[in-house]
Amino acid sequence: MTAAIATSGLVKTFGSTRALDGLDLTVQAGEVHGFLGPNGAGKSTTIRVLLGLLRASSGRANLLGGDPWRDAVALHRRLAYVPGDVELWPNLTGGEAIDLLGRLRGGLNQARRAELVERFDLDPRKKGRTYSKGNRQKVAIVAALASDAELLLLDEPTAGLDPLMEVVFQDVINQMKAEGRTVLLSSHILAQVEKLADKISIIRLGKVVQSGTLTEMRHLTRTTIEADTTSPATGLDRLPGVHNLEAGDGRVRFAVDGQHLDGAVKALSQFGIRSLTSHPPTLEELMLRHYGDELAAAGNGAAGDSKDDGDNR
Amino acid sequence: MTTLTREPAHATATPARGNPLTGTRGLIRFILRRDRIKLPAWLLGITIFVFYYGAALPQLYQTPDDLRVVSQFTEGAVGALLSGPGYGLDNPTIESVIVGVYGLYFLLAVALMNILLVARHTRVEEQTGRAELVRASVVGRHAQLSATLIVALAANVGLSLLIAGAMAGADLDTSDALLFGAGVGAVGLAFAGVTALTVQVTEYSRAASGLAGAALGAAYVIRAAGDMITEGGSALSWFSPLAWSQQTRAYVDGRWWPLALSVGFAAAAAAAGYLLSGRRDVGAGLVAARRGHPEAAPWLRTPVALGFRLQRASLIGWGSALVALGAVYGGITKPIVDSYEDLPEEMVDVLGGDPTRMLDGYVSTMGLFDAILVGVFVILGVQTLRGEETRGRVEPVLATATSRWAWFGGYLGVLAAGAVGLLLLVGLAIGTATAISVGDAGYVLDTTASHLVYAPALLVILAIAALLFGFLPSATGATWAVLGFGMIIGFFGPIMDLPQWVHNLSPLEHVSRLPLDDLAWTPLVVLTVIAAGLAGAGLAGFRRRDLDTK
Repeated sequence: MTAAIATSGLVKTFGSTRALDGLDLTVQAGEVHGFLGPNGAGKSTTIRVLLGLLRASSGRANLLGGDPWRDAVALHRRLAYVPGDVELWPNLTGGEAIDLLGRLRGGLNQARRAELVERFDLDPRKKGRTYSKGNRQKVAIVAALASDAELLLLDEPTAGLDPLMEVVFQDVINQMKAEGRTVLLSSHILAQVEKLADKISIIRLGKVVQSGTLTEMRHLTRTTIEADTTSPATGLDRLPGVHNLEAGDGRVRFAVDGQHLDGAVKALSQFGIRSLTSHPPTLEELMLRHYGDELAAAGNGAAGDSKDDGDNR
Repeated sequence: MTTLTREPAHATATPARGNPLTGTRGLIRFILRRDRIKLPAWLLGITIFVFYYGAALPQLYQTPDDLRVVSQFTEGAVGALLSGPGYGLDNPTIESVIVGVYGLYFLLAVALMNILLVARHTRVEEQTGRAELVRASVVGRHAQLSATLIVALAANVGLSLLIAGAMAGADLDTSDALLFGAGVGAVGLAFAGVTALTVQVTEYSRAASGLAGAALGAAYVIRAAGDMITEGGSALSWFSPLAWSQQTRAYVDGRWWPLALSVGFAAAAAAAGYLLSGRRDVGAGLVAARRGHPEAAPWLRTPVALGFRLQRASLIGWGSALVALGAVYGGITKPIVDSYEDLPEEMVDVLGGDPTRMLDGYVSTMGLFDAILVGVFVILGVQTLRGEETRGRVEPVLATATSRWAWFGGYLGVLAAGAVGLLLLVGLAIGTATAISVGDAGYVLDTTASHLVYAPALLVILAIAALLFGFLPSATGATWAVLGFGMIIGFFGPIMDLPQWVHNLSPLEHVSRLPLDDLAWTPLVVLTVIAAGLAGAGLAGFRRRDLDTK
């Protein structure tokens, strides 16, 4: 497999702010790659550098075998983009905007355009200024997905879409995947990425902090086990990799590291399992692990402040 | 600041069930809080010009004879076009020059202040959806409009007093200071009323302030045409709210009663606004948004086509306005030129220096005037482009196979062609109307040429804006200074006694005044080359810089 997107040591500064701080990102051709991070982590900046809208301060970026800044026009014929916050021309209708953007790229697939307008339930006759946020988003999604582009750069594409449309969107992206297209899907909507992405990169403060398949990442994290046992489960806390153990009334609940899951389940079975549920780690938990220190710092900081205040008075 | 102190919430929420004005007091405080910088800045910004003129004019024109020169310049048609009916300028004082020559600009500024103020606190609030939040609380149907109009009323009264106070503070004669101030405030009220009406009509704040701006433009044109026909204004002048304030004849033969027309007009317009606002939903206009085409026209497929599509409405608007203006100013050529018979010598100088060719002088002056108007179109066009960038609409376009060169270059091409087309259009309109008015078909061509000759100078102004957009995009608006300078030098240069190099700084000064002068091709070629060079540099700058994203 060849890389559709490969960046190494990408840095982008705005004045004294380092929006990208040595970003390494690889997206293989044909995969749906989830690009996860909270607001301000550098997702949009990365995509804009990949589009040649911003010029990288240093580092290398390779997009479909070309340089995103120098070869922007040639590369853009092969890709489509959905911005996170779509603005439309106030006096152009949605349909006009879709056609214009498609034609400027070099043509769009009329049959697919009609199908997408229908599926997303979009009224293409309304003027740009009268669309709600969700409908503006639909216009950009239809304009991008009605193309035959081999690479799709989607920056939080479903922000503002209702859950029904979210399902349609997932369906369409799966269709794109089946056609062998590459998708970079940035989001902080974790459930969506979980359903669609083959691989995931987590970005934080302008750096990719973790990258891999969901399975690989899950292996690195903890599974939550809940069980009812016939005899009280004891001694589990001495097992390696077991955390947050709560036991009582014949019920036990704990989290266990991926590589110690086997041992923990074996130990648990000695107590006679009546019912067992296990939760794989959600992406929220994956994210929390990477931002946990931040959250903890914020939480502690706030607590510390109020404590200080108390002391001072 | 007192506006910062808030009453407890329940005070504004005292139940006055069914009262459409409930909450007005709270909203007034809210408006004052939001505009705590903007409103004082407008008021002081306008007032400070009284001090400026009060200090500058005695310096510039030290003897009554000097003052006569400037006032003579503002007699006749050009004076009527740019200043007003010209009361008291036969025997000018500093005060009557401020009122008679510069007074109109106070009126325009206060009208603009009121249009923006009223639109900002009514339609903009509704369009952004903030009004929904406000109206969802204990606020009556008419509270928002009432609060806005009360603030506008207070601001206009305050401005009237400030201007009168400034006349006193600048050591000027105070006999009619309050009348002049009240005249300024009255125009403000009139346009607050007009805007209270226009914001009910459309859903979009820009269309609403645009309609009110068009009313101001119409008031200007009607007044200018009326004042050009007869010195002191004709019956036509009296159809313009601007004229009512000018007809108070402050510092000449002051009279208050014309201001009653302004107040009555403002009240009537505001009443109509209330009536209409009671008949529509929050956020809706009286004119429903039209639906458009589900597909783009086949020609809408290139960056140039996009540029044209974005400028189309503006081109149609400017084109119609300029043709209307051309027809009016061309149609009254005969009475104007007849009135030139006993023009003072300095005025003859300004109009070309040949008393036997005053009509040609008038035609060339109209060329300059219209060129400046088209210059406004050009700069607004580049600012629209800047808006496209900062609002994030350029991003999806440049993410397609559209190069920055094609996007920016195509748009500049549309603006350049639009500027030339507008010059041609207004030239033809004035030319045709002039030819009919004076009965000489030759003026169709002469007048068209007197306009088109400004095209290279306008291209330079466009290119300066393009250069700024390429390298210092946030400073694109600085191009206004070039146009403003060109206007001052163009109209007042002849009486300002400035060194030649200062004149040369304005691109408009290098253009032959047709049909008075012979056409000099060299400066036109040089201007075009300069324009191409600056625009090329701007394009290169834009290709190298980061896009400003949201």
